[in-house]
Amino acid sequence: MSSVCIRIAGANGDGVESSGALLIKVASRNGFHVFGYRGYQSIIRGGHVWYQIRVSDRELHSHGERVDVLIALNQDSIKNQKSHLNDGAVVIYDPSNVNVKDLEGMNVRPVPIPILDIAVRISGDPIMRNVAAIGATLKFVGIDINAFRDVVTSMFLRKGQKVVDNNVAIATEAYNYQGVSTLFNMKGDGKQRFAVDGNTALSIGAFAGGCKFYAAYPMTPASGLLHWFAAHENKGVMFKQTEDEIAAINMAIGAANAGVRSMCGTSGGGFSLMVEAVGYAGMLEVPLVVVESQRTGPSTGLPTKTEQADLLFVMHASAGEFPRIVVAPRNIKECFTVGHEAFNLAEKYQCPVLVMLDLYLSEHMETVEGGFDLDSVKVDRGKLVLSNATGGRFKRYEITEDGISPRGVPGNPGTEFIAPSDEHNEYGDLISDAFSGLDDSVEMRKQMHSKRMRKIDTMLKNESKFYPDIENEGADYFFVTFGSTTEPAIDAIELLKAKGINVGLISFSYLMPLAKEKTAAILGGKKLINVECNYTGQLAQVIRLNTGIEIKNSILKYDGEAITGEEIAARAAELIKNFK
Amino acid sequence: MPEQAKPKQVYTSANKPIWCPGCGDFGVFAGITKAVTDLGLDKSKVAVVSGIGCSSAMPHSFSTYGIHSLHGRLLPNASGMKLANDELTVIGSGGDGDGYGIGVGHLVHTARRNIDMTYIIMNNEIYGLTTGQASPTTFVGQKTKSTPFGSIETPENPLAVALASGATYVARSFSGDPVHMAEMIKNGIQHRGFSIIDVFSPCVTFNDYNTYDWYRKRVYKLDQSHDPSNRLMAYEKAIEAESTNWEKIPIGLLYKTEKPTYSDLDITLKEGPLVKQPFPTKEKVQEILKEYY
Repeated sequence: MSSVCIRIAGANGDGVESSGALLIKVASRNGFHVFGYRGYQSIIRGGHVWYQIRVSDRELHSHGERVDVLIALNQDSIKNQKSHLNDGAVVIYDPSNVNVKDLEGMNVRPVPIPILDIAVRISGDPIMRNVAAIGATLKFVGIDINAFRDVVTSMFLRKGQKVVDNNVAIATEAYNYQGVSTLFNMKGDGKQRFAVDGNTALSIGAFAGGCKFYAAYPMTPASGLLHWFAAHENKGVMFKQTEDEIAAINMAIGAANAGVRSMCGTSGGGFSLMVEAVGYAGMLEVPLVVVESQRTGPSTGLPTKTEQADLLFVMHASAGEFPRIVVAPRNIKECFTVGHEAFNLAEKYQCPVLVMLDLYLSEHMETVEGGFDLDSVKVDRGKLVLSNATGGRFKRYEITEDGISPRGVPGNPGTEFIAPSDEHNEYGDLISDAFSGLDDSVEMRKQMHSKRMRKIDTMLKNESKFYPDIENEGADYFFVTFGSTTEPAIDAIELLKAKGINVGLISFSYLMPLAKEKTAAILGGKKLINVECNYTGQLAQVIRLNTGIEIKNSILKYDGEAITGEEIAARAAELIKNFK
Repeated sequence: MPEQAKPKQVYTSANKPIWCPGCGDFGVFAGITKAVTDLGLDKSKVAVVSGIGCSSAMPHSFSTYGIHSLHGRLLPNASGMKLANDELTVIGSGGDGDGYGIGVGHLVHTARRNIDMTYIIMNNEIYGLTTGQASPTTFVGQKTKSTPFGSIETPENPLAVALASGATYVARSFSGDPVHMAEMIKNGIQHRGFSIIDVFSPCVTFNDYNTYDWYRKRVYKLDQSHDPSNRLMAYEKAIEAESTNWEKIPIGLLYKTEKPTYSDLDITLKEGPLVKQPFPTKEKVQEILKEYY
């Protein structure tokens, strides 16, 4: 295989993010697969930030470990990034503000280019030095400069021909600069692909699935969802920024109860505020989708870093027992799928669906091979009723065999009901105060609670998704993953194969409820290694709770950085030597 | 041909509220019932929303739609309903603990958004359902279960909060005057925008200070001399009770102004109520995907 890892590094305000986005666009539109991940900090100016862009001629599963081309926009970038450089890495720098003494003795290739001078001379704008650096990078990687011209024309022509010309002239000068040569000679397949991050994919999926209302309070790394919905308010989906996450989820519940497909989203801290209302949605049996994009905790933790440590929290959040669905999409495409599927599940089973992302999945960019499958979008609104067939008083919470009751919507005559947070009878009348503890109410509570909980059996009976997928069934060992660690594990399996170690994959997207017997059958009798970004091995705990199977070999990471295929492979090779 | 009379709508349900005999909330229930009856609203297009407290018996007393929501979360629930379906008449009925205590943050924001709904607070200056602790409107010095040595916190002034937050209809009434109250509620429902009506609703069990008699001696109705379009004058009336050491308490319409509602301005709702907007076609999604190529 061939892939190149490019890292643009500098300070906040240096245009690192927009340069990365530009490079991703050039590569993805010109026949390459791209995977981009930002390292950034919770400050607006200064600090040290980077954007890692991996370009390949085959499908990618993670952002890569070692850097092949470093664009060092300042001196910090040499100091902070030198430990990440691959053997033979190219370091593009401007000798007017960066020296490379620190790299002496290392097997790397510093390439001085006066990017600032080129930028200022041609455009008068110092920030355009990034464009010069990109031009040189394209030459090293083997991407034709004409590809760059086409992309900047489509992106910047609305700003005027001069802007386009300046971009092209600056990039071309650096592309042809002395010492700049093609090292990797990547060959794209000519296909145009698009690259999106997980937040965008989930938003588009939700939109395609008929989401009409999104409420949120800003919080990294879920803010990308908020920005997407805010930008598309003129396309038929309302976004409401609220005063806090409590208002966000309660507003989403109000809208869902009124009959629109409704969603809210946040990170772990904001979800902590939403917890009471998750159970409330369970009691109201209102179809609600909640997105929880995890970052490093506890508390406000590392706001710009990733983790998977909220799994048990989300699975058990809120008082009492009620059916819920928990799903952690494993890749960008699955973010799209879950985005629309979640609404069908929420409406069919009239319960909260909790979608778990993390900073890595929410914010990394990836080319989507084959695009999103729009034909897979189907709408199933479950037992939604728009009129009352019986003519009697509407039983919104009718006791049924499958646990699912007919759902009316305000505005329609005949299905009037009150949605109560207290325990209630089939009409929604309270059995919580004046009737509490009386014989009839005791019986009703038993029946109503059983009715709600029976929905779990119905889900497990009707849906074939509540167990993990298995790949490479005859392998000697299996990685066990959920959510975003699945993709790097796929990379690791490839790397281990080259070493003669045969590892398969058992990966979960749907985590709650679980089809226990089927899950146990898939996991049973195998040498398992759980790969998770948390300290306590939360997925392994969930597996043990549901199946009794104990996983004794774990690869756990909780330093905030995203795990790569290389790291998983290296740690797995060690683990296997002393497999417990 | 004489127009056929519409069948009379029954807005109330068979549920008996849990309120103690003599509770001020009965008056508010009667007031809402009279208002919706006078206005002849289609009951399938009415939603009554409560939070938690004695006040949460209100939605159950009606045969309309409604939500009995979490403690303090009446306003976001009501807002969500209204934003999803602008054709609904949304009436919130909460208590002072619910709306001025745990949920007061939402009051500020719902008011400034000018969500078109009517929010009635049954203010009894006490926590009733939790058996008599101090509320945000309990007076200084008042002894309750949570303030056995007398409350030392300044009571909240909800009308001033509402005025400062941009509410477009601010009124006060008294459960001992059901005719006045029904009028305030009716006008509030008819007002396009966020209407807040603070109603003194005596708790006959846990508040032996703010009784019907106590109020009767102090409340007076605003007359022609008050100009409800004058916000500064409204502030004066909002603080009059405090500045007269609760000897003179004005009731009536303090403030009213016409302003576009949230729904009037929201770009998504230009295509009609959300609940009636169609699901996107494949072509529409493809159009959006083009942004990313």
